[in-house]
Amino acid sequence: MSSEQDQLKQTNTEERFEFKKEERSAVRSDKGLTEEVVRLISDDKDEPDWMLDRRLRALEHWQEMPMPTDWPGQPDLTELNVEEIVPYIRPDVDKRSGADSWEDLPDEIQDTFEKLGIPDAEREALSGVGAQYESEVVYQNMQERWEEKGVVFMNMDKAVQEHPDLVKEHFMTSCVPPSDNKFAALHGAVWSGGSFVYVPEDVTVNMPVQAYFRMNSEGMGQFEHTLIIAEPGSEVHYIEGCSAPKYGTHNLHSGGVEVFVGEDAHVQYSTVQNWSKNTFNLNTKRAIVEKGGRMEWISGSMGSKATMLYPCSILKGREASANNITIAFAGEGQNIDTGAKVYHNAPNTKSTIESKSISKDGGRTNYRGLVHISEGAENSSTSVECDALMFDNESTSDTMPYMEIDESKVDVAHEATVGKIGDEDVFYLQSRGLDDDDAKQMIVSGFIEPITEELPIEYAVELNRLIELEMEGSLG
Amino acid sequence: MTAAQVHETISEETVRQISDELDEPDWLLETRLDALAALDDLEMPDVIRTPGRDWTNLHALDFEEFVDPLNAAEDKDQIGPDEVEVLPFAEAVAEREDLLREQFGSVIDPEENYLVALSTALFSTGTVVYVPENVDAEDVTIRTTQNSRSLFNYTLVVTEQSSSVTILERQDTGESVDGERYYSGVVEIAAGENSHVQYGSLQDLDEETYNYALKRGDAADYATVNWVDGNLGSRLTKSSVETNLDGEGSETKTVGAFFGHDDQHFDIAARVWHNTAHTTADLVTRGVLDDEARSVYEGVQDVGREAWDTNSYQRENTLMLSDESEADASPKLIINNHDTEASHSATVGQIDEEDMFYMTSRALGDETARNMLVEGFFVPVLEEIEVEELRDDLAARVRERLQ
Repeated sequence: MSSEQDQLKQTNTEERFEFKKEERSAVRSDKGLTEEVVRLISDDKDEPDWMLDRRLRALEHWQEMPMPTDWPGQPDLTELNVEEIVPYIRPDVDKRSGADSWEDLPDEIQDTFEKLGIPDAEREALSGVGAQYESEVVYQNMQERWEEKGVVFMNMDKAVQEHPDLVKEHFMTSCVPPSDNKFAALHGAVWSGGSFVYVPEDVTVNMPVQAYFRMNSEGMGQFEHTLIIAEPGSEVHYIEGCSAPKYGTHNLHSGGVEVFVGEDAHVQYSTVQNWSKNTFNLNTKRAIVEKGGRMEWISGSMGSKATMLYPCSILKGREASANNITIAFAGEGQNIDTGAKVYHNAPNTKSTIESKSISKDGGRTNYRGLVHISEGAENSSTSVECDALMFDNESTSDTMPYMEIDESKVDVAHEATVGKIGDEDVFYLQSRGLDDDDAKQMIVSGFIEPITEELPIEYAVELNRLIELEMEGSLG
Repeated sequence: MTAAQVHETISEETVRQISDELDEPDWLLETRLDALAALDDLEMPDVIRTPGRDWTNLHALDFEEFVDPLNAAEDKDQIGPDEVEVLPFAEAVAEREDLLREQFGSVIDPEENYLVALSTALFSTGTVVYVPENVDAEDVTIRTTQNSRSLFNYTLVVTEQSSSVTILERQDTGESVDGERYYSGVVEIAAGENSHVQYGSLQDLDEETYNYALKRGDAADYATVNWVDGNLGSRLTKSSVETNLDGEGSETKTVGAFFGHDDQHFDIAARVWHNTAHTTADLVTRGVLDDEARSVYEGVQDVGREAWDTNSYQRENTLMLSDESEADASPKLIINNHDTEASHSATVGQIDEEDMFYMTSRALGDETARNMLVEGFFVPVLEEIEVEELRDDLAARVRERLQ
């Protein structure tokens, strides 16, 4: 086993995820969401006027749109007070828009990412790494061979300056407009950091690129934006990880992800989410998939107080396809509301959604998903499978799929099951010498295996480890 | 948003007149007047919403146009075997006021939503079925033929301990009326301990008629409430069939069938609440859509915190015969007790090409082959129907529609 995996086996969660560093910021906005705050962010980034205009328009949408409160069974957002959130903290680092050497970072930031295992992973398994601390990307690097092929992997703020045409065309326009939902509007107003990925035609990036997002300060919001443009015939795997120490007040994470999958291109987007349990995690992720393109969303949601996340694929061209794999684990005090959305807007499009959720110690999971097949999208097929495992009688497991089928030449299937962890299975494993906890852990690992086997090994190990920690009740 | 105000002529006076004609006691008149007064504050029944879409638009209903309660007219048959009381509503008021007082509104809140309250205020016809202890009764049949612009119907079924009954209630339309019509039916079933109810309904209203139906049963210990809900007629139907499994060991099986054509819109729901231990539910719905018809299906299996040892299953299948039709479905599981075995499945698709090929290779014409496959599609639900007359009627109406 590599040293990275040793690192991931680290059992001391205080050391792994929950350590806190003293806040040392260069710029810190006021709390709340005002025009002043938006202008301060834009000004601090020395943005062109068109981006400031987009932010201000998004702010207007935020102010006009109501909070989502009428979804059946949705997480309670009443405790989330956006006026108390600090939306922008620029850490005090020498080099703006990402150092390319870990050594150039202040000690506490370097130490943070080392504990999270990022430099190790970079050496062993990745084509490139971006690391965001608070509101700013502090580290950004990609192997030279990819740069030579024209691949771009840079911090989103820098892309605004260096690739204005691409950004202008794709940033919160056709994919995730700020009018899409209340939190997309919020994101559009105060976004900061995140990744810009551009893969030229027919280039296959054969090792994943990864971004890691760390919130360190109490009461802050993180709003990174990820824009991926995969030109025809290209292929890339993007991985994001995230974590934060736990505080008494609420943090907010509201990311925006836009993916443009060109003809016959293939994008895989994997997320292992481990926010602390005081974090509201309300994201909008969407891909537009052209003819023959393939989009894969893989999400493991372990952390957060409340998550609302429904990665969406718009299958725009013939024979486009989408695969969603989602794992949710809700322990005490957590409400993980997640699923997938797929719009079949062209003939011969395909989608699959696999969801596995686990609820324990009063946690609540909800699979919420929408499959829409438009008129004319003939010979399309979709298959949705949701399985839920419940540990105890304090927990809740909901399944709420929505299917809108406006075309007859289709194949639509949805299946869901809910059950408890089997006493007989536990008994059997105990009779083989495992204690109760180990037996249950093994059953859960088996339950999610169909999904973890789709992940790169490093992430499968990470996910399994997080689930073990969750089962021990040792994650904050 | 509250619903649109109904026609000004639906006043307290209207309600008093309806109640007076049925010679109702004061408490019932008060219940009606309260429901009328509540209309302003009540919401329409819930409809499913997804980003940018309402699956059914009830706000477009023009009540001013088609609600005309004082001119209600219908033909009605209410028949049952001797050992069961099958009473027209006026008779029930006269002879069984005690029973009515105890049970009316005990299963469905008379002001549950705007359309229920409207029905409470304005119903002018109905049936009360009472099955005494240990009586086994078959073949209670109720047929309502609507001859007026609007008709509000009420049905109450009460079964005492260890009794059983099968009921078939049919709705259709008689004399034609210019323009659109409205039919509203509320059905309450209070199933006593260890009793067994099968309530079948066949809705075959004409296609100018808007239809609201809410049917709900409360099942006591070891009781069974089984439903068959067939929807063929109406222009727009908003129908929900619901069971509260309140008693230990209680059960329900809900079988739904619909066949939409032209521009019919069916919004069909099947819902069950598992409220206590050892309960079982099975929800089975099959529907066919042709032309520009549209279906909306919601299935809810809600397992409460105290519902230990629950079994709950749901299946929904829709067959689309036309590219112009649309099928929307949302089968929901809400599970609060882990000692549960629950599943649901839903499919939407067209006629299987291999099946068609097989049939046509046996020298059947395309249309004959298609019709046989559609009839075959309904067989799994037809097989669940205990009342032979309903099974035959439903099969016959499906065949007719295919012609």
